[in-house]
Amino acid sequence: MTTVLRMEKISKEYRGVKAVQAVDFDLEQGELHSILGENGAGKSTLTKLMAGVIEPSSGEIFVNNQKVEFQSPSEALNMGIAMVFQETSLVPSMTVAQNLFLGNERFLNSLRRINIQAQQFLQSLNFTVSPTALVMSLGAAQRQMLEIARAVRLNANILIFDEPTASLTPEEKKHLFSLIQRLQKSGVSVIFISHALEESLQISDRITVLRDGEKIFTKPTHDLDRNKVVQAMIGRSLSYSIGQTRKQQDIRLSGKKILSVQGLSMGNLVKNNSFSVFSGQVTTIFGLVGSGRTETAKIISGIYKRDFARGGQVDFQGRTIRYRVPSKAVSDGIVYVTEDRKNEGFFDKMTVGENLYSGYLSSKTHNGLSVSMREMRDISKLWIEKVSIKAINDNANVVELSGGNQQKTVIGKTLIQKPELCFFDEPTRGVDVSAIDEIHELIGNLADSGLAVIVISSYLPEVRKISDRILVCRQGRIVEEFSPANVSDKDIMFAAVH
Amino acid sequence: MISKTEFTQEKVVVAVSVGLFILFSFLLSGFFSASNLIGLIRNISILGILGVGMGIVIIGRGIDLSMVSILAISAAFFIEMLNAGIPLTGSFFIALCFVLLIGIVNGVLIAYGEIPPIFATLAMGLFVYGYGRSQIMSADVAYVPDEYTDLLDLGTLKPLGVPIEVYIFVAVCIVAWFFLRKTKYGHYTYYIGDNYEAARNVGIPVRPMIVLQYALSALFAAIAGAIVAGTILSLNTRIVNSTLLYDVILIVVLGGIGLSGGKGGVSNVIFGALLIGILVNGMTIMDLEQTHQNLIKALILLVVVILDTIFNQRNEQTEKQGDI
Repeated sequence: MTTVLRMEKISKEYRGVKAVQAVDFDLEQGELHSILGENGAGKSTLTKLMAGVIEPSSGEIFVNNQKVEFQSPSEALNMGIAMVFQETSLVPSMTVAQNLFLGNERFLNSLRRINIQAQQFLQSLNFTVSPTALVMSLGAAQRQMLEIARAVRLNANILIFDEPTASLTPEEKKHLFSLIQRLQKSGVSVIFISHALEESLQISDRITVLRDGEKIFTKPTHDLDRNKVVQAMIGRSLSYSIGQTRKQQDIRLSGKKILSVQGLSMGNLVKNNSFSVFSGQVTTIFGLVGSGRTETAKIISGIYKRDFARGGQVDFQGRTIRYRVPSKAVSDGIVYVTEDRKNEGFFDKMTVGENLYSGYLSSKTHNGLSVSMREMRDISKLWIEKVSIKAINDNANVVELSGGNQQKTVIGKTLIQKPELCFFDEPTRGVDVSAIDEIHELIGNLADSGLAVIVISSYLPEVRKISDRILVCRQGRIVEEFSPANVSDKDIMFAAVH
Repeated sequence: MISKTEFTQEKVVVAVSVGLFILFSFLLSGFFSASNLIGLIRNISILGILGVGMGIVIIGRGIDLSMVSILAISAAFFIEMLNAGIPLTGSFFIALCFVLLIGIVNGVLIAYGEIPPIFATLAMGLFVYGYGRSQIMSADVAYVPDEYTDLLDLGTLKPLGVPIEVYIFVAVCIVAWFFLRKTKYGHYTYYIGDNYEAARNVGIPVRPMIVLQYALSALFAAIAGAIVAGTILSLNTRIVNSTLLYDVILIVVLGGIGLSGGKGGVSNVIFGALLIGILVNGMTIMDLEQTHQNLIKALILLVVVILDTIFNQRNEQTEKQGDI
């Protein structure tokens, strides 16, 4: 076996945050190598380094024992390394053949010629799709296979897959795996990132586990089982106070049942989801990315619409609700703090004060039509203190603040609305370490004051630290409930992976 | 809403306006006289009223390309109804309902139909103009019937020696300023223009708000139409084919209301209109040809926009999809 790709002591920092730390990695010819880890463990960063999408802060990369420094993905592609993206980079309005030849058309491009060439090429891969079919008419799996075909056509001998099976049906998965196996036989090496443990254990030759940007181990798959992999993924060093577990006596008892969800469904993302939420408690929903947690929260708070027929039933405070727009949910006391604050959280041309004021203006506590600057200043001063935003004054622009203070601004503007049920979606994502504890304390205080708080998180230590009840979401529905006092990380992780 | 950048486009425009004003006052005889200055403001009042309406829509990250059609056809419709013998108040209310209906349909198409504003209002503008010319009017020009000329003649109304349209422009500015700064719905407009998704999530009724914005811009267009018709007692619908619409967008963008929404205010429209007003007035006194005037207007717009991108650089933090 020859080593086709080697990385030595490779590191990548984003503004002082280490995404990948001194990782050694090697890939042999014709092998299928899985990289596993929790969300944020550094899997995607590591593969992006290989594919030249980003440049390493330190460390060296060797391809075929030759040192390389990629400036762009096209340089990596020239060396035979191709990445197959999660969101495919095909042009939907063009045909299969046109996409296959995208970027290397001749000056005088003849459709007939590329159709014939594409036909021959696709047949050689044993991939039956018409070259004249439009890409938008293809299913997710066929699109992915087309991407693979494109990479192979460009003589790629190292293929990187980021979550290739997340959006595929079991049937489509089988097709994809058989194509991958055929490629392997012809000497192509494959790197595979997946949340689906079973899959990785089934098809890969070796497995590398990453945690917090560091490599835990690389082992042949036959030395591993599901248990060992899960343990390696979650066995975390306690870097700061987060990670402490809650004692039985600290756990808040459930108040009255405030929300009950039955059979909630939305397309493929939320399927027949049922659960209840109680006031005066922090309920966390743990799950991997794509498990339908965010969608569930957004449906309940009126941002998304559930399926029209058989969409399920949601009862809030004993009343059946079905919101078409968030404003109705807000006035009923259901609010949602987004995981994507830049795109749907704060108003980036405005000051902290104006951001906070938006919550007050659109809530039922504000009566009448008129607004005043003095009222805005009073309210923002009060809430800057309440959620302890560290800004020079309420006139600071919100984009100038740190991630933590931006998040507190978004939380503040939501809490002004005096909610009774509050969703926090990944409340500490992109938040500086010092602010994480403050946000956790804030969430705890809300529950103490009688609110029903639902935290969506994919960070286990956070889940264990703040929750009174843990729900685990998998493939669009809540599958398990735990009490934080007598559950191990392993149990939670087991329930979440499929 | 409040821009904290040291060097804003607004300041550039004000500085250039003041500079031109001083320059013209010294160099051009007859520029710095009461009659010329009143004439200057009179000239920009139509543009300014349209600009205020357009400004409100652009702050909400939309655009209304149907304003000039609404201006022309609403006034012409009103005049034609008078000609047909419908009483004054009846004609007025029918015309008002017609205008509001167009604005509301614009808003519904954009907010509920999710059609991009540029297409919805472009189509609406063409439709309104085509409908008006083919179904309501028999000729290009509508003349106010003789029995109403005394009542509707705005051209002769000059309280304190200042033409009536200047008062109307000032009133429109005050109303718009009050709406944007002092009412909840005005603030909503800024929030929606800044970040539509965030505004929706925080519980602002975004879709009715968008309908309101387009209803307002249609209303302001109709006010401008009433002035145009009232001062010359007729209305030539060929105004739709003039460069008026571009001039309106010019003063709004020039004044510093970014097409990406969420910033600026009535003052920006006034500054933009003043700059263009001073410039055009000076060039007219200098007896420059229309074509040269257009050239200079274009250069000024480019310079201001380039200065704005230099001083307010976009970066990863502030960039968002859909920014123009």
